[in-house]
Amino acid sequence: MDIGDCYVGWATDEDIRTRGASGGLVTAMLAAALEKGLVEAVVVLKKLGEFEAVPIVTSDPEEVKAAAGSMHSVPIVLSRYLEYGTKVALPAKPCDARSTIEQAKRGQVDIDTTYIVGLNCGGTMHPAMTREMLETVYKLDPEEIVGEEIDKGKLIFETKDGEEHAIKIDELEEDGYGRRESCQYCAVNIPTMADIACGNWGVIGDLAGKGTFVEINTEKGIAILENAIDAGAVEITPADEKGKAIRAKVDGAMMKVAAAADKKYLSPIEGSHLDYYINALSDCINCGACKTVCPVCACGEGAKCTEFSSSSDTYKMSLFHLVRFVHLMDSCIGCGQCTDVCPADIPLTHIYQRFARPIQDEFEYKPGMDMTTPPFFGVDLLEEGH
Amino acid sequence: MAEATATETTNEEWQPKIVMFCCNWCSYGGADSAGMGRFQQPPTVRVIRVMCSGRMDPVFILNAFLEGADGVLFSGCHIGDCHYVNGNYKATIKYKFLKAMVNELGLEDERLKLDWISASEGERYAQVVTEFTEQIKKVGPSPLKPEGVI
Ligand SMILES: Cc1cc2nc3c(=O)[nH]c(=O)nc-3n(C[C@H](O)[C@H](O)[C@H](O)COP(=O)(O)OP(=O)(O)OC[C@H]3O[C@@H](n4cnc5c(N)ncnc54)[C@H](O)[C@@H]3O)c2cc1C
Ligand code: SF4
Ligand code: SF4
Ligand code: SF4
Ligand code: FES
Repeated sequence: MDIGDCYVGWATDEDIRTRGASGGLVTAMLAAALEKGLVEAVVVLKKLGEFEAVPIVTSDPEEVKAAAGSMHSVPIVLSRYLEYGTKVALPAKPCDARSTIEQAKRGQVDIDTTYIVGLNCGGTMHPAMTREMLETVYKLDPEEIVGEEIDKGKLIFETKDGEEHAIKIDELEEDGYGRRESCQYCAVNIPTMADIACGNWGVIGDLAGKGTFVEINTEKGIAILENAIDAGAVEITPADEKGKAIRAKVDGAMMKVAAAADKKYLSPIEGSHLDYYINALSDCINCGACKTVCPVCACGEGAKCTEFSSSSDTYKMSLFHLVRFVHLMDSCIGCGQCTDVCPADIPLTHIYQRFARPIQDEFEYKPGMDMTTPPFFGVDLLEEGH
Repeated sequence: MAEATATETTNEEWQPKIVMFCCNWCSYGGADSAGMGRFQQPPTVRVIRVMCSGRMDPVFILNAFLEGADGVLFSGCHIGDCHYVNGNYKATIKYKFLKAMVNELGLEDERLKLDWISASEGERYAQVVTEFTEQIKKVGPSPLKPEGVI
């Protein structure tokens, strides 16, 4: 097995294979990594309901197996739950994987002991919004939903009576529903920065729906897949050229969709920028949640943004926000966590991206794609004749 | 017409508040040389000494604006002369970030400037301060000035 190889794989356990999103490969790999001692812990989502899950760090393979399946309405970034020095594996959407790498650059995660099992991602939805959408657009009772799926541009919900209800995602998004805004313009669909990239794109023929497409990106990727094969937990077959081509084609099409969303949401602000920002931030209640959830921020308590800022300040804008805007210019990956948690509904991700994009473009630095150091720390003593 | 003349006169009288950060080894010495050489300069600048331009924290600059500065200058040794090897390279990168930030925020680009001034460049120091003051006078009081601050 070599870096760059592509396979289609599935769990040998029938139960995992059926409950898994495509072939249960990810679940089987994660569980086998625990069982064979490749890792000590795994981060997964523990399902609480159709639209609700909590991240757990577990050493129990049964809990990993119970977590099989994709949750499209749980936009939680799992990298926040990694602990330095623990041998750990996590399923990772591109935003999970990218933030893991940014944490590693800041000494919060040991990249050598962290297995990033990438999941392709076309986007996630806000759980509260999903419920509202089910009631108002689908005219369905959210409690009746037993499954969800995205297929051929449609968002499909399955109800208890076995019926499927499909609506085009484009239409949903025009009405303000569907994927979160940040996911609409997220242009990274295949986690090339993860150790191994898994998804259902490119699985064709008899295996469609019953197999997971994997691409090996690193030595760790080889290790975790071979470990699962040795344990008898998964089987693989080489991916065929047609499958690979389809996967690349869908990825390209999704990137175009993201670029269009980019234009729609992030075109320059008309009128006074300052008025826009002062106004947007005026509802802030200073709760600090946006900082707490941010998966690329490595500051704990006593961070610069909080230490130098006080709720009794009478400035036109809070220093807390201004500091965070600068600090995240080189690291914001646009994961959407800050917007999701803001109790004042401030479109924070949108704002952070506005600050981050120009400078990331200028330095040709895209955070979380590899271990390249951020521009500031790239200044070394030997540069330019010193 | 009468109104326009009135504003023009107030504009002329208005003196901007400028916060200037100078590194200890070069630019602060430059300020001293300017004084000793009796080079004329407007009384618009409040100098804050930092050990090196690389010590410039974005917090300092943002805080200066929030406190009511109309412009912020920061200055260090010429490239190659930093007493801490490469502090001014770091300053250059921070400056790029701050420039991009200030632009997106909607503050005028003219309000923030980085320049290198050595300890012997008293005349240049006075020139930088004079030019920057003129520049700020043109853009007027900062829209981030808190209520009640002149
Ligand atoms: C939100 C989302 C969108 C996706 N969009 C695409 C797509 O457009 N194209 C494509 O090819 N593939 C997509 N995938 C990947 C695909 O759905 C499968 O996860 C992948 O094919 C692996 O299948 P599996 O059966 O091997 O995984 P499983 O064995 O079902 O394991 C899935 C693992 O993912 C974890 N997980 C579930 N939901 C989330 C979540 N929201 N965030 C983080 N971890 C989660 C579970 O805890 C579990 O460990 C998406 C996945 C998710 C979570
Ligand atoms: S930000 Fe990107 S990777 Fe993360 S959930 Fe949204 S679409 Fe997926
Ligand atoms: S600032 Fe917001 S969008 Fe950017 S990385 Fe942090 S939580 Fe994600
Ligand atoms: S989450 Fe919202 S309300 Fe809370 S500090 Fe951040 S911006 Fe302010
Ligand atoms: S000491 Fe003057 S710039 Fe570093």
